[in-house]
Amino acid sequence: MTLELTIAIIITVVGASTPILIAALGELVVEKSGVLNLGVEGMMLVGAITGFVVVFTTGNHYLAILLAAGAGLATSMIFAFLTLSLSANQTATGLALTIFGTGFSALAGQGYSARPVTLLGPLFPSELATHPIWRVLFGYSALVYFSLAMVFAVWWFLKKSRAGLILRAVGENDHSAHSIGYSVVAVRYGAVAFGGAMAGIAGACFPLLLTPQWAERMTAGRGWIAVALVVFASWKPFRLLAGAYLFGLVMTMELYAKAGGGPLSAIPAELWAAMPYLATVIVLVLISIRRDASSNAPACLGRPFLPSN
Amino acid sequence: MMQFRLEKRREPSRFMLYATPVAAVFLTMVIGAIIFSAIGFDGIGAVREIFLTPLTNSYKWQDLGVKAAPLIIIGVGLSIAYRANVWNIGAEGQYIMGGLAATWVALASHGSGGWWTLPAMMLAGMAGGAAYGAIPALLKTRLNVNEILTSLMLTYASVQLIYYLVRAPWKDPMGMGFPQTRRFASEALLPNIFPGTIVHAGVPIAVIVALIAWFIMSRSVFGYQMRVVGAAPHAARYGGFSENKTIWLALLVSGGLAGLAGMLEVAGPFQRMVPGFPTNYGFTAIIVAFLGRLNPLGVIFAGIVMAITFVGGEVAQTTIGLSNSATGVFQAMMLFFLLAGDILVRYRLKRVVPQTEARV
Repeated sequence: MTLELTIAIIITVVGASTPILIAALGELVVEKSGVLNLGVEGMMLVGAITGFVVVFTTGNHYLAILLAAGAGLATSMIFAFLTLSLSANQTATGLALTIFGTGFSALAGQGYSARPVTLLGPLFPSELATHPIWRVLFGYSALVYFSLAMVFAVWWFLKKSRAGLILRAVGENDHSAHSIGYSVVAVRYGAVAFGGAMAGIAGACFPLLLTPQWAERMTAGRGWIAVALVVFASWKPFRLLAGAYLFGLVMTMELYAKAGGGPLSAIPAELWAAMPYLATVIVLVLISIRRDASSNAPACLGRPFLPSN
Repeated sequence: MMQFRLEKRREPSRFMLYATPVAAVFLTMVIGAIIFSAIGFDGIGAVREIFLTPLTNSYKWQDLGVKAAPLIIIGVGLSIAYRANVWNIGAEGQYIMGGLAATWVALASHGSGGWWTLPAMMLAGMAGGAAYGAIPALLKTRLNVNEILTSLMLTYASVQLIYYLVRAPWKDPMGMGFPQTRRFASEALLPNIFPGTIVHAGVPIAVIVALIAWFIMSRSVFGYQMRVVGAAPHAARYGGFSENKTIWLALLVSGGLAGLAGMLEVAGPFQRMVPGFPTNYGFTAIIVAFLGRLNPLGVIFAGIVMAITFVGGEVAQTTIGLSNSATGVFQAMMLFFLLAGDILVRYRLKRVVPQTEARV
C-alpha cells in the first residue's frame, strides 16, 4: 500500500468516525446522569436537516453547526419534559423521539434533496498540510478537532470537576443525591440538553463533513450505533474514541469495496453495507463475554426518579 | 392563584388507561393542525385529509383493512413482548425475514405447488421471523446483551439481505433487469375474500390473531407469566416463573407474528419480493402496541387508527401536496401525547389550597 493511499484511508476513517464519536459522547453524559435517551438517531436527523438548510441558505458552516446544536437541544427537550417532568417510560419516549425526528426531518427537507452545498473546509491553512504526513494532522475540518477535544472535555468533566461528580452521583444513586440537596431532575435536564446538542452537531456532520447534500434518513442508523458504542466503551470517553474509530474503519472498508478492485470486492457489496450493524452485534457479544457488560452501567440508568416525599 | 399538585393514586386509573389513547388522538388532530398551520402548511387540510377522509370515503375502507392487518399482527406480538418488559424493536427485521422465508418457499415450489403452498409459506414466514427474534433472545439470555440494540441492528442487516437476494440469486431472469423476484404462482398468492376488492385473507387473519392473543393473555398461565414478569420481576422469580423463558417466549412470539405479517404482505399486496418490501410496518407497530395499551383488543383499534393516518397521508399527498413524511410526524405526536398522558393513569391532579388562606 502506498503512502498516499494509506493517508487517504486514514482521512476517510477519521471523517466517518467523527459523527458517531460526537453523538456517543453526548449520550455517554446523558447515561451517566441515569437517563437512557434512545432518541439519538432522531435528534441527529433534526440536526442534519437544520445544518443543511442553514448552510444552503446562508453558506455559513459555523452558523449551521451552532443552529444544528440548538435544534438537537430543542428536540431533546421533548424527551426531557416527558421523561423527567412527567416520568414517562424512557425507552418508549426515546423511540418516539426517533420516529418524530425521522418524520420531521423528512418533512422539513422536502424540496431540498439533490441540491448540493459545499463541505466545511480544513481548519488550518493549507500551507500546514502540504506534505501528506502533515495532512494526517492538520488536514481536517473544525468538526474533527471539536470531537477530539470533546473526548478530553467529557473525560475531565466527569472525572475531575465537581459538577461531573454531582452528575455521576445523580446517575448512581438518585435518592441519596436528592436527600443531600441536589436537584436530580435539574441535573438530568442539563445532561439531556447536552446530549441533544451533541446529537444535533453529529447530525450536521453528515451534510457538512461527509456528503454535501440532504437525503432522507441520511444518518442511516449511526445514532443507534452511537448508543451501542456507549455500552461497548463501558461508559468511558477514551474507549469511546477507540470504538468510534474502529467503526469508522469498518465503514471505510465498505466504501473502498464499493469503489471496486482489490480483495475487498470479493465480498458482496450488500454484506459490506450490513457490516457496521453486524459488527455492532459482534462487538456487544464480545464485550459481554469478556466480563459482565452491565457491571459498569450507571446504577439508575433508565429508572424514572420520583422523590418519595 | 389556583395551584395543582400531583397525587399518587392507590391504584392505576382504569378510566384514564383507556381515555388517554383516545385523548391523544384528538389532541394530535387539534394541536397538529395548529402547529402545521404555524409552520406554513395547510394545517386544517392536513388533519382533515389524514384523519377524516379515509373514514368518510367508503372506497378507502378496503385500503384501511389491508394496511391495518400487518400493523395489528405485528402490534399484537409486540404488545405481548412489551408486557414482559422485553424491548423487541426489530420487528421490521423479523417481518423482512418472514417475507424472505415465504418467498423462498414460493420460488422453490414454483410450478409444482398446490393447496399446501400457502400453509407452507405461512409456517416458513413465522419460522423465519421467530428465528430472527431468537438471535436477540439467545444473546440476551446467555450473555445479557441488550435486546434493543441487537434486534435493531439485525433489522438494518436484513434490509441488505433483501437487496442481495433480489439482485443476484433470486432475480427474475425475465424481469428486464429489475432487481426483483418473479411474480409468485397463483397457488402462492393470498386469495381475495371479497371478489373485486383488494381485501385479502390477511385481514380476517389479523383479527383472529388479535382475538386469540387476547384470550391467551387474559386467560392462560402463559399470559399471566408474561404480565407478572413484566410488572413485578421479583415476585415472578419468587413465584417460580423463569425470566429467561419469558424472554425467549416474548421474542419468539413477537418475531413469529412479525414474520407472519411479512408472509401475508409478500403473498398479498406485493405478489413478489422487491427491494421496496420494508415499509416500516415493524416500526409503526411499536406505536400501535402502545396506543393499544399493550392489549390485543386495543391493538385492533390502534392498528386501524394508524392505518387511517397511512391512507390519509397518501390522500394528503395527492390532494393538498403534503409530503408523506407528515404522517410520521403525526404518528410520533400521537405517541408523545399518549406518553405524556400516562402520568394521569398513575397520578391525579389535586387542587392545592394555599396555606395562608387555610389558616384564616
